Amino acid sequence: MNAASAMNAAHFEGRGQADDTAPVRIACKDLNFYYGQFHGLKNVNLDFHDRQVTALIGPSGCGKSTLLRTFNRIYSLYPEQRAEGQILLDGSNILDGNVDLNDLRSRIGMVFQKPTPFPMSIYDNVAFGLRLYEKLPKAELDVRVEESLRKAALWDEVKDKLKQSGMGLSGGQQQRLCIARTVAQRPEVILFDEPTSALDPISTGRIEELIEQLRAEFTIVIVTHNMQQAARISQFTAFMYLGELVEFGPTNRIFMNPVKRQTQDYITGRFG
Amino acid sequence: MDATAPLPALRTGAAIGGRVRSGRRVADRVLRTGCLLATLLGALVLGSILLMLIVEGLKGFTPLLFTEPTPGPGSVGGGIANAILGSLVMTLIGIVIATPIGVMAGTFLAEYGRTSKVAGVIRFLNDILLSAPSILIGLFVYTLMVRPMGTYSGWAGAVALAIIATPVIVRTTEDMMRLVPGTLREAGAALGAPASTVIVSVTWRAASAGIVTGIILALARIAGETAPLLFTALNNNSWFNANLMGGVANLPVMIYQFALSPYPNWQQLAWAGALLITMTILALSVVARIVIKPQRAR
Repeated sequence: MNAASAMNAAHFEGRGQADDTAPVRIACKDLNFYYGQFHGLKNVNLDFHDRQVTALIGPSGCGKSTLLRTFNRIYSLYPEQRAEGQILLDGSNILDGNVDLNDLRSRIGMVFQKPTPFPMSIYDNVAFGLRLYEKLPKAELDVRVEESLRKAALWDEVKDKLKQSGMGLSGGQQQRLCIARTVAQRPEVILFDEPTSALDPISTGRIEELIEQLRAEFTIVIVTHNMQQAARISQFTAFMYLGELVEFGPTNRIFMNPVKRQTQDYITGRFG
Repeated sequence: MDATAPLPALRTGAAIGGRVRSGRRVADRVLRTGCLLATLLGALVLGSILLMLIVEGLKGFTPLLFTEPTPGPGSVGGGIANAILGSLVMTLIGIVIATPIGVMAGTFLAEYGRTSKVAGVIRFLNDILLSAPSILIGLFVYTLMVRPMGTYSGWAGAVALAIIATPVIVRTTEDMMRLVPGTLREAGAALGAPASTVIVSVTWRAASAGIVTGIILALARIAGETAPLLFTALNNNSWFNANLMGGVANLPVMIYQFALSPYPNWQQLAWAGALLITMTILALSVVARIVIKPQRAR
């Protein structure tokens, strides 16, 4: 173990051990992705385990966000983007032409880099996804909204102002509101795309704690630029570079005993 | 390393900096004076028009203006109530026709037609319509409605105004919806919402202040249009009797005809009408600014 990885080990608090016996929730098989002519992902093969946090790390432009955006096929909003290969969600390929995208997206939630509260009340923000697919009576809707806000550790701060606009909350609160909105749909997987890079350290800490709690119920994939964050909150880490998956494994092994030279260079800060 | 070495270099730098700075100061003063003079000139012209309008308009500003219809030439009394009412009705009908078409078309351009060729053509045609001389619109509606119907009519006037308002609304709606960040649409889609739901519940809401402002500005634009009404609604000196199938009195055409007439009482009413219409448009513009403010603050 060299000095740099010893430093990483000091940051690494071991949030639960990686459990690679957990069933595979998402499996990528020979996944390729194109932005028009540009080849953004090259033959990615990667498994995501149930109720584990998997961090995707790598320098800017390495394809980690691109990979994340294939899992709910949000890229389909843009006609020039396409994916080839297979992404198996519970065994069925979501890249099939006949997949109902709205159904898929209600099963795989996503939280973005910048908080994206809708211009409506806090309550309506959380209820937005619920009203799409479930016709719940008002009382039950109230219960689900409260439950979701509690899971997102936001309930105590907003319980007296549910009718106020979600835009009036602080950045960190807005991000937790977006998490509540996602959790409310009871998805199987939650995708986080650099969820704390627009937030201050205290809000970041809260979101990290929250992700650790959410792991009990959801499979989580998180893209992060912050290697300490990846070390703190994930059980598995995938290092990507130039559209390829370089190395994947339990987070403590990736950070303490990387096999590939590129991985070691990146996590010790020699490039990226 | 010699600690004094960088000092002479610094002094030279400061000397050059001083010269450059005084040169820049002169350029700054010249430019600033020029801009100020140009602004004053513009304000002077506008101010003198407004002053003249207020002075002359106020002379004829009596309660009768709002209660009496237009009088005969040279007679005493009379107002412009019929013209106010006719303008109000035609403008409102025009905006009621133009708003759904404009908002829908703008939404199509912003949401569905970002890359399509059809949208490019529509956007181009809309820009042409936006800058088309309004007299052409008047002639168009004259051919389309007035001639087949055999009479000038309030409906034709309203349609002509709607045609002028529509491209304004299309343009502002598209611009305002494009200002809504793409991540908000993605967030809606990521929850499994169909595109139509995202547009109605998220994008429209986020852009609502801007869209409403566009509608108000279109309203202000058509409230003062004369040319399209000359060929369509023309005028009517009797009381407006809710019959849009005949000619309908309206402020712009009334001002046009009365101002050109040789009769002092008509000229006075034209001044009063001009002041009224200017104040209305000013008020609409102020309202539009107030409406858009909260969105800018976000």
